[in-house]
Amino acid sequence: MKSLLLGICMIIVLALPPMRELLESVMIVHMLVQLPLLIIFGWIIGKYLLQRFPGFFANWNGNGIPGIIIVIFVTTYWMIPRAVDEALTYPAVELFKFISLPIVGILLADSWKKILLIGRSFVFLNYLSMFGLMAWLYIDAPIQICNNYLVAEQKALGWGFVIITAAMVLFTLQYVFIDHSENLPSE
Amino acid sequence: MKRNWRNHLATIISIVLGLLIIYFGTDGLHAFTAESARTYRLMQEQPAFPEVTLEDSKERVYTLSEFEGKYVFLTFIYTACTDVCPVLELNLKEVYDQLPEKYIGEEIVFLSVSFDPDRDDPETLETYRIAFGSDGETWRMARIPDKEELQALLEEFGVIVIPDGNGGFAHNSAFYFVDREGYLIEVMDYQQTEKAAEKVLQVLESELEG
Repeated sequence: MKSLLLGICMIIVLALPPMRELLESVMIVHMLVQLPLLIIFGWIIGKYLLQRFPGFFANWNGNGIPGIIIVIFVTTYWMIPRAVDEALTYPAVELFKFISLPIVGILLADSWKKILLIGRSFVFLNYLSMFGLMAWLYIDAPIQICNNYLVAEQKALGWGFVIITAAMVLFTLQYVFIDHSENLPSE
Repeated sequence: MKRNWRNHLATIISIVLGLLIIYFGTDGLHAFTAESARTYRLMQEQPAFPEVTLEDSKERVYTLSEFEGKYVFLTFIYTACTDVCPVLELNLKEVYDQLPEKYIGEEIVFLSVSFDPDRDDPETLETYRIAFGSDGETWRMARIPDKEELQALLEEFGVIVIPDGNGGFAHNSAFYFVDREGYLIEVMDYQQTEKAAEKVLQVLESELEG
């Protein structure tokens, strides 16, 4: 119950106009802080919902695949430059952001446990390449991709994606080369 | 196995839902940036050129009805701009040069509209005009002194202008093609001048012959 309230309260805080103004005025903060926060708070709400309605998730998301498919599509949508741009221009898109991303968090909380190592690896590597692509796109684009943000901000975002991609590559390398057999009992 | 059908159904639903989100989010895979979405929408809507008062480099004041019965090929610029506007103007000139002389001024007029009326007074525009070799008649440079009218036009044509903090502006660029009745019929990529000229010629000739 606590996590439900916490999650909902935090999403409401994020939705307050001054907070939105603050986070959305800078492109990199919009993309790499606000959007992930919405997913994280969704995840927190998900923790509660999973306990409260285990039957529903077991029935409809038994192997975690439906949930992860939604997660991939929705996050892919939010990586289209236009989506972020239009969230600033059209209230309906902004509303969709505040609904769809917490749902992503909720589904992720359920699906991540269920999709096993192979599924997780697939998703992880999928995002690694996607983030790498975004980094290249935003740094190398000679034109202004978003109408609401300047080219300099676009480049900053690109470098943000470079850092994330590098971190993910490092994580992968240590995962492959360091012995994890002790703390991997179930897989 | 009994609960399996729900999981399968949910898988199918989530794939369909996901595809729909991407499909509608990009106008059926047409527009991945807000700029391409804007262009796409404009061509569907074909908005009318709003009533605005222009003041050109020769200090003449008129509305769009000055060009009534002629096509207008226009761009939005500001003269203090150092990056994209000069390219935009050079490219506009390329389109201008590619059209047969008999049409210029008779069937079609070129217009560069400044969205920085504070700095772009007729004198500044005149300097700019000379720099780019426009004749000031069939290719005019003008500002819209009334800021409300300017805003209305920018909004109608979907031009987004943001001050960049250094006295300049970031803005989206394109060629706009307005028909004889004052409706926007085409938004063109300003980097593809040959394609733009071809399109204009095609419209003019198909009409004059037909």
